[in-house]
Amino acid sequence: MSAIQSLTALLKPVDPLSPEMTISDVADQLLLPDFKAFLSLPVVDNQQRPLGLVSRYRLQDIFMQRFGRDLWGKRSTTEAANPDSLVIPINTPLDEAARIVTAQLQYPITEDFILVDEAGRYQGLGTVLDLLKAMESRIDQRNRALNRALRELKNSQAHLIQSEKMASLGQMVAGVAHELNTPLGYVKNNVQLLRDLVQPLLELAEAQAQLSQCLNDPNTPTDTVEAVFARVQDATELASPATFEEDFTPLVDDTLYGLEQIGELAVSLKDFARLDRAMSEEIDLNECVRSALVIARNSLKDKAQVVTRLSDELPSITCTPSQINQVLLNMLTNAAQAMRGSGQILIKSWADTQRAYISIQDNGQGIPKAIQQRIFDPFFTTKAVGEGTGLGLAISYKIVQQHGGNIRFASEPGRGTRFVISLPLSQPASLQRQPQHRLPQHRLPLQRSA
Amino acid sequence: MTTADRVSILFVDDEERILRSLSLQFRRQYQVITESNPARVMARLEIEPVDIIVSDQRMPQMSGSQLLSQVQQAYPNSLRILLTGYSDLDAAVDALNSGGIFRYLTKPWEQQDMADTLAQAAEIVRHRRRFLAQAPVAVPTPAVAAQRVRLLLIDDDQETLLLSRDICGRLGVQLQAVSTLDGALAKLNEEEIDILLSDIRLGNDDLRPLLMTLAQAHPQLLSIVVTPFQDTQLLLKLINQAQIFRYLPKPIRRGMLERAIKTAVNQVEEARLQPSVPSLRQAEAPRAAEEQSRVSNFMGMLGRLRQRLTA
Repeated sequence: MSAIQSLTALLKPVDPLSPEMTISDVADQLLLPDFKAFLSLPVVDNQQRPLGLVSRYRLQDIFMQRFGRDLWGKRSTTEAANPDSLVIPINTPLDEAARIVTAQLQYPITEDFILVDEAGRYQGLGTVLDLLKAMESRIDQRNRALNRALRELKNSQAHLIQSEKMASLGQMVAGVAHELNTPLGYVKNNVQLLRDLVQPLLELAEAQAQLSQCLNDPNTPTDTVEAVFARVQDATELASPATFEEDFTPLVDDTLYGLEQIGELAVSLKDFARLDRAMSEEIDLNECVRSALVIARNSLKDKAQVVTRLSDELPSITCTPSQINQVLLNMLTNAAQAMRGSGQILIKSWADTQRAYISIQDNGQGIPKAIQQRIFDPFFTTKAVGEGTGLGLAISYKIVQQHGGNIRFASEPGRGTRFVISLPLSQPASLQRQPQHRLPQHRLPLQRSA
Repeated sequence: MTTADRVSILFVDDEERILRSLSLQFRRQYQVITESNPARVMARLEIEPVDIIVSDQRMPQMSGSQLLSQVQQAYPNSLRILLTGYSDLDAAVDALNSGGIFRYLTKPWEQQDMADTLAQAAEIVRHRRRFLAQAPVAVPTPAVAAQRVRLLLIDDDQETLLLSRDICGRLGVQLQAVSTLDGALAKLNEEEIDILLSDIRLGNDDLRPLLMTLAQAHPQLLSIVVTPFQDTQLLLKLINQAQIFRYLPKPIRRGMLERAIKTAVNQVEEARLQPSVPSLRQAEAPRAAEEQSRVSNFMGMLGRLRQRLTA
């Protein structure tokens, strides 16, 4: 239903009563089917000026008196009309009209209102019910518009969060792709070198096979045997075990190491790229820290040395690992970007009976006092336009909050910043879970380098 | 081959395994030393100077381009190669403009390409050594030494023209300007040009094959490329196959262009004092068949230039 915008749509062009008519005439009129729908009828003089409304209610009062119609019936309608009836110019905005009508509204509603043109001439009647209906439909329409705006806002917010995630993912993927090039570089070269290295061995094997064939055949001429033997000797020299061993072992070891590195990167990427938002149980936060470090290694390498002191008694928690990884990566990149020259990043983890904590501390330039209040605000950024969305910390904050945790920080300009993320050991939804009985764990070294 | 003849190569990378791999590959042909901390390189070079240095770009202590620029300052006759896994335009520009790199190689590399590149570099080193061992120091011909340095500008951009006219005027460089490819070819054939200042595109013409050809035909010529294109792959090719001297982004910053021209002029004047010392510049041959044919086309068109140079 399209909303009514002006009073014109509510106009009911009712034939007015004239002052010459008697109250009795009006009563008869009000009984006619045409006027059944009206609470009151207007009285208008010969210049089309409204004099007031005569309501059924008023007539009821008159006729209910003993001999009421006999006493009043012959009198002029003007005597029964309410001179203070509501008269509203037809060009009044709907909202304004509604305001005027509701201000005058009394219980019971006995009259409608008169609509006049700019010159004050009678145009018709408007009914309170129609006006209220029109207002309701307008409110309905506004609500729909607001809802639509809200939906759009939510969509664009989700879109922004997604694009921030994609931007950080993209940055990360580019970093990792480059990171892969180093192990790929030596692995590829090593394999090519191994191929060259094996060549003399194949040669030797072939020469030996030929020799044994010659020796097995009593008919082989001596000089052929000698020639083949000489070939075996040459091949043996080229395939000297000393050379071979010296090169072979490091080439194979390094190749295997490089392949492991590549595998590690692939696993970390997989952990990160999971776009699902599902909560998982039994997540080891230390593992999240390690995989964030693998991913961030490229952007940290030339900026900071990373020291980790991860508690070996950190209980597993319930969380969405891909989101927690996103938070950690954001914190690490921020720390790296805060560095002037080369610095240090210290990552610690610990737990108390309620919560697990991760702190990320850098000795970078710190956050100026003036902006410390604003760092979690969406779109707040100190970077140049196009370099940061200003959503990184806002989203991190939101993620941690949704996990029932919080992020606190302390920063001193010139000395560095420390962020502490705390997360509840168990999520409210899974409170009924029995406390876990932890088995004695294999102890990890307290300090692990990145 | 005696040890004195051996060409020495220093590999710098923070990943020990890269160093081991390269060392295992080349230690039989060259005298190979390796260093995983770029901050120690300058001190090591003082004790043990090398002919060729191959460095990684991203390292914790300092970047490869920073290192190579220090090496160039101290050992201008060394050949510097950047070997990087990161396609980072700024680093490449830096390595060229302040490190004067000979090649820009990427990880992972082809074993054969690396071997070829080092062989080419080693050949330059040996050639130069042989020359310096035999030839007495050449006496400069006064006429050539006194001649004004000539710069050829190939660009149809008015702003570049005005700017280079102004800079050349102040540096006493003779400026020739052309705005077409044919004009450029004619000038190069007619006149002795020392410095080339050129965009890589002129209307619909791609100037890169010309730059590649000049790198082959006239290795002494110093090419300064000014271009709005910002692309690492493109720069990589210009370094390796056209051995360009500088790469400046458009819009041109006056200070940058002036410094580039000034450095080029100094190099030209220095080279004139020892006219026959073999150049350290040598481009890699183009690989794509199409480029090869365009280069040999230009070779033909630059016949007179080549005649003059070999005369």
